[in-house]
Amino acid sequence: MKNKLIHHAMSALGGTMMLGLLSPVWAAYECPVKGGTLIWGHSETTQNLYMHQTGTISTGRILQNIHDGLVTADKNLNIIPELAESYHVSKDGMSYTFKLRKGVKFHDGSDMTSADVKYSFEKVMDPETGAVNKPVFNSVGSIETPDDHTVIIKMDQVNAPFLGRLAALGAGVIIPEGSAETQGTMPTGAGPFKFVRREFGNEVELERFDDYWNGPACIDRLIAREVTEPTVRLTGLRTGEMHLINDIPTDRIDEIKADKNLEVLSWSHGVFDFVNLNYKFEPFQDQRVRLAIDYIIDKELLLQGALWGQGKTAASPGFASSASYNKDLKQRPQDIGKAKALLAEAGYGPGDLKVVFKATTNYPYHIEAAQILVEWFREAGVVLTIEQLTWADWLSQVWVDKDFQMSMMNFNSVWEDDFLYYSLYNSTGGFNYRGINDPVIDELTEKARVTVDDTARADIYREVQQRVFDKVHDIVVWHRNSSFGAQKSVGGLDTLVNGDGATYHFHQVWLKE
Amino acid sequence: MTLVFCVIFIAIFAPLIIPPEFATRMDMRTRLSPPDMAHWLGTDQLGRDLFYRVMLGAKTSIGIATSAVLMSLVIGLPLGLISGYFGGHTDNVLMRLVDTLLSFPALLLALTISAVLGPNLQNTIIAIGVAFTPYLARLIRGEALRVSQMPYVEAARSSGATNIRLIISHVLPNIMPVVIVQSTISLAFAILAEAGLSFLGLGTQPPEASWGLMIQASRDYLDRAPWTALVPGTAVALTVLGLNMFGDVLRDVLDPRSKS
Amino acid sequence: MAYLIQRLLSMAVTLFLISIITFTVTNILPGDVAMMIMGTQSNPEALANLRESLGLNDPLIFQYGRWIFGMLTGDWGSSLLFKMPIGPILLQKMTASALIVFLSMTIALTLAVPLGVWSAVHKNRWQDTVGSSASILGVSLPDFFWGIMLILLFARGLGWFPSSGFTHPKEDILLALKHAFLPSLALGLGLMAHLTRMTRATMTGILSQEFIRVARAKGLAEKTVIWHYGLANAIGPVMTVAGLQMGYLFGSIIVMESLFNYTGMGWLTYQALLNRDMPLIQATVFVIAAVVMLVNLLVDLLYPFFDPRIRLQ
Repeated sequence: MKNKLIHHAMSALGGTMMLGLLSPVWAAYECPVKGGTLIWGHSETTQNLYMHQTGTISTGRILQNIHDGLVTADKNLNIIPELAESYHVSKDGMSYTFKLRKGVKFHDGSDMTSADVKYSFEKVMDPETGAVNKPVFNSVGSIETPDDHTVIIKMDQVNAPFLGRLAALGAGVIIPEGSAETQGTMPTGAGPFKFVRREFGNEVELERFDDYWNGPACIDRLIAREVTEPTVRLTGLRTGEMHLINDIPTDRIDEIKADKNLEVLSWSHGVFDFVNLNYKFEPFQDQRVRLAIDYIIDKELLLQGALWGQGKTAASPGFASSASYNKDLKQRPQDIGKAKALLAEAGYGPGDLKVVFKATTNYPYHIEAAQILVEWFREAGVVLTIEQLTWADWLSQVWVDKDFQMSMMNFNSVWEDDFLYYSLYNSTGGFNYRGINDPVIDELTEKARVTVDDTARADIYREVQQRVFDKVHDIVVWHRNSSFGAQKSVGGLDTLVNGDGATYHFHQVWLKE
Repeated sequence: MTLVFCVIFIAIFAPLIIPPEFATRMDMRTRLSPPDMAHWLGTDQLGRDLFYRVMLGAKTSIGIATSAVLMSLVIGLPLGLISGYFGGHTDNVLMRLVDTLLSFPALLLALTISAVLGPNLQNTIIAIGVAFTPYLARLIRGEALRVSQMPYVEAARSSGATNIRLIISHVLPNIMPVVIVQSTISLAFAILAEAGLSFLGLGTQPPEASWGLMIQASRDYLDRAPWTALVPGTAVALTVLGLNMFGDVLRDVLDPRSKS
Repeated sequence: MAYLIQRLLSMAVTLFLISIITFTVTNILPGDVAMMIMGTQSNPEALANLRESLGLNDPLIFQYGRWIFGMLTGDWGSSLLFKMPIGPILLQKMTASALIVFLSMTIALTLAVPLGVWSAVHKNRWQDTVGSSASILGVSLPDFFWGIMLILLFARGLGWFPSSGFTHPKEDILLALKHAFLPSLALGLGLMAHLTRMTRATMTGILSQEFIRVARAKGLAEKTVIWHYGLANAIGPVMTVAGLQMGYLFGSIIVMESLFNYTGMGWLTYQALLNRDMPLIQATVFVIAAVVMLVNLLVDLLYPFFDPRIRLQ
């Protein structure tokens, strides 16, 4: 059966979605069946409905169906125009001209014009909004709207990644002028679905927006029901209460894949996990200790143990499908002997080094991984103890206070290179909670920002990945699988997952009955 | 009775006999395997032997429960005694405080305290101990009040004995039966409380083997590997059952009033 | 009358104390709502702005006063995380939990009372042992354990009940009950233990009394004796104990509701705590404590009506 073939191919390729069917970019589509209410069992609780202020995928996933942005990324992470019809970047990278599509309607019936674009971006740039994506616009000097369908963004300084940043994480989302105040209760945008209601903690209901610029969606309604408990979510799928669920428990995926009544897809781009070593912790300032720890960890076995093999080990945090991915990096294999030697060299005999591992219960597989690590560390003569933290505590202690020794973290849908490498590895990066201060990386990431040529920029990022690996700034362990399971009655599943591997697009999904 | 002694015996001696590594040894190839010759009670999701884990877990769970109950006694006993003996304003004020705390469900209190202090062994003990104190204090206060009003206490008082002396030699011994019985029952609840806290991530820390943590870890595997939950669950059930029955027996023996 | 007023006054004082404790505990919780809202996208600049706009930098006394004043005037503040006014949320979640509390208590009593009576009547014989053991089983295993078992049995296995979620009774009473049933059953099993023992203890006490012997001597059917004379008098203390179990019940729903994704007060409190949503934590903890206090007060006041031996003048 054709479907099965595609699924096998996808698993074989590690989940990279290479359908090759989507050119031209916005292919004409047809809804084999129109109508129906799709019930989606979502693993997350929704929070702030105002797109500009929401930083989490939990709400972002739903809002991405309500909003469209100026530009977006296709399945291969190439930037393509969305609400913009076309765009042009000046040779010196100081000016971006967007030609907007005509006839795009917002949910409230009004037409989208350049005024809305200017409004949306200025809201993000306004400190009062507290917008999560404000740093994206840091180099923006002015936004001009010479006519209703042209927007010219002039930069104060070159920021080559700007376009990419606009396509990521809802930074380029356009909201109707003046709607910021009500976005929290009634999110309105130009996306394929309208917001109907949110039963707090329970479900969110969306309905089809018939005047969507790219053609109306196939289903009438989408209900995103919150089911955080994995077993319960899986049960919901099996009993037929839900048409679709995301993130099947990793130990059950193989079992569910064998179930003829269900459609399962898993892919390994979108989320990566890495082990963090804090530079503030004295022993970790010694390169040899960091190297030793890398040699203690058997990444494949850890993946088996913590995630039931659902993922791909990797040495780089980048997306495998990304142009800047460094294919040459190979993880260091486990070598306890070497680790012990390195530790001895650094002055740590058996039992001398004591490390506390702070793991968050928000990701239960981190806890499992930590327990496995304790055993290996013991073999190498290091005493590892675990401290379980709730998400709130982890954010507070590790992320903000940087008060930790060793930890583990994952990052979701961070595909845009500047966002990824600058934030994580530049000494001033917003995600640099490990205290990494490497002049080489700083120089490289700054250079990338002003390198307008895409290929040259990709090369720079490859160098960054190499450097991170050489210096063991972090120990990337794997890209873990995300998955969804659906009833056979759900069609169009191949269009469901976006290029970032984390957000879902229900526009072309349809229900068989 | 025998049940309780069995459990205590295991709790004390198991850790001495079984090397701690047995509980954390992992073998991925045998993960989630049902009871067989190699692993008498099966293995958990990381391939650890459940028999050893549940044995060693006895020490952790019982240890935490005992410490927590002891702690609540240390605070609650003097509180209840003073309140019940002196009565009047002291009683009013102290009991008002206790009643206020009683309005907070014990689990909620324990959860909040755990969240504030951070999740580790000592804090779990503190959280459960503090959460159980109000109930114990109130009970002791009731008993202390009753005993204090007995004629022979009055007599002793009028014969010039100091308050402290009276409390220790007259009131205390008479409330001991209730205290002992209640402590036994509280022990059972403390074990359940530890399980609940671990379920919510705020109790024992892995890879420590505690019954509560084991039940929590089994949550995702219940339908395909029920023994991962049944092994610690049965351990908890047997212990709690034993403690409850033990408490009943004690009550019949020590507290003549409860004889019908 | 004077007694009533006295109790009401003391209730007010207790409420005040509850509010102080709630406020203190909430504010010494480590963690930061601003960070929770922004997640891993937090950067120091945005965080600082957010904190300021949320009023988190004002002095504590100020915040406390604002909170109390707000509650008295019906404004319970807004959830920082969900950006919605707390009042309506509380009302809805209280209804949800009320359904579970009521249902679980009913289930518990329906099972416990007959079992307790049966044990009492056949005291010290095998029926007694069976009854006592069965009831203890409920409390020997954590309620979430039962919860999961029930999900597997009823939702997965038999498909009789939904495995998760919540429906408001106003929308569809039947569906609402279906959603509430499994969590209530799991909770009820836990409650049963104490109630069965209480019933048994009280019944044995009553059955040994004079008037029972008289009734039997009069030749009344055994059934009438047990149920009309015996249970009618035993029911009082049992109901009292049931009322006092409220505190325990409200604690248990925290775990149970989260397990079933049944969005009631327990679920809300846990979410609030997890996310350090201060206004929400304050509101939920306060409400739960206040409700438990009120129920305890009610039980205290109604107690004399149930137990004729202890009447106040």
